[in-house]
Amino acid sequence: MAIIDDLFKILVFPGFLFVVNLGLFLEWLDRKIYARLQNRVGPPWYQPWLDILKLLSKEDVIPEGASRFMFTWLPVFYLAVTVTASLCIPVGTYAAIYSFPGDLIVVLFLLTLATIILFLLGWYSGSPFGRVGAVRAVTQFLAYEVPLVAALLTQALLADSWSISLVMARTTVGFPRFVVVHLTALAVALISLQGKLLRVPFDAPEAETEIVAGPFTEYTGRRLAFIRLAERTEMAVGVGLVSDLFLPFPARLGVLGFVISAILVTFVLSVLRASVARFRIEDTTVLAWKYILPFSALGMVLAIIVRG
Amino acid sequence: MMLEKIIALSRKSSPWVCHFNSGGCNACDIEVMATLTPRFDVERFGIQLKGSPRHADILVCTGPVTKQIRERLLRVYHQMPTPKYIAAVGSCALSGGVFYDCYNVLGGIDRVLPVDVYVPGCPPRPDAIIAGIVKVLQKMEADALELGDQGRASAAEGGNSRVSH
Ligand code: SF4
Repeated sequence: MAIIDDLFKILVFPGFLFVVNLGLFLEWLDRKIYARLQNRVGPPWYQPWLDILKLLSKEDVIPEGASRFMFTWLPVFYLAVTVTASLCIPVGTYAAIYSFPGDLIVVLFLLTLATIILFLLGWYSGSPFGRVGAVRAVTQFLAYEVPLVAALLTQALLADSWSISLVMARTTVGFPRFVVVHLTALAVALISLQGKLLRVPFDAPEAETEIVAGPFTEYTGRRLAFIRLAERTEMAVGVGLVSDLFLPFPARLGVLGFVISAILVTFVLSVLRASVARFRIEDTTVLAWKYILPFSALGMVLAIIVRG
Repeated sequence: MMLEKIIALSRKSSPWVCHFNSGGCNACDIEVMATLTPRFDVERFGIQLKGSPRHADILVCTGPVTKQIRERLLRVYHQMPTPKYIAAVGSCALSGGVFYDCYNVLGGIDRVLPVDVYVPGCPPRPDAIIAGIVKVLQKMEADALELGDQGRASAAEGGNSRVSH
């Protein structure tokens, strides 16, 4: 029985099926909010699922210049890495499948690995657009990764733990005293998460108006479907991580609270996406290193001071 | 049968278009861009503009085919994964239009590629372009119901008799 229970946890809830579907749902929500902000109706709720199905039924092309092995396996690795990261994310009070002191570091590491895979995806696709996109992805990675880790570290410092579930349980400890630090870290985390997920204004790596589709230019059919699924899962993991670490609802309202916070975080990210234009890649780095990083360092110092 | 139905539904609900100007005067392109603005909200039907032909299901071609662009147009067409559909938008794409019989113009898109739907007008209104895409969707659905994920028989055989490669 224990094996069946574990399999259910890994494959259905809160594992694979749940995160992938949550990711696709968040994609729809994002597109819908974006559409509403442009005063239009937007796609029906089942659109992301149909996109994936359509891609699965299309022809699968391997371009001549691409490395066959990398081209075949990288999309699979991409999905595998993001789904593995999701195993450590507690869904509200529902414990994560695999949790131990320090799982926050593991999730961050796996998300970093996802970016490296993104780089390889573009590099080995044998297209100049793919390579430019890949190099931009890594450049941008240097910009947002440090603030993102610093923001999450601030939360971990306040809660005095590296375990996601413990930090989650302690988000509201010392409530009025920590508010300023919390909000600073939350703002930094949201902005760098936007960069991590390659969304406007940080979508220079896949800027469709200049470099076609960046690292994904050459991918078709089911490979592209895998990449899309991996991206959505990454979104679910990122959004879930921020809601677990920063918002008070997951620890109070359980699974429902988790979903509500995920929707809230997605709402903020979508409004951000709808209200700004794309940065050039050097502007992204300048913004991150000159303004966001000092801000997040300030948050960290404040955290150390208020904890005393 | 169930599988074919699902494929047909997903294909007709998520057509991604790629836009190619093979030598027109640009007015048609402006109309295609206008079609994609929030005012017409084609995302309701799942239509999205994709930069890469590798991601596209429908190639929206505007303008006549010039001798210079023929190779490039063919290359973009061959880069698309099957099943692929072509919509010719504008009088030029249909027959050469005002450029008919120019020394450097081959004629309409169907001189080079098998065209699925013709949208007349100089330039056609966005409503007309949407109507054209909807016709392509009907064709897509019929093909998927008949062939499942096997691509398209008609295009593979060069369905249009006027095709010359
Ligand atoms: S059909 Fe008319 S508007 Fe369109 S490209 Fe030709 S001349 Fe220009």
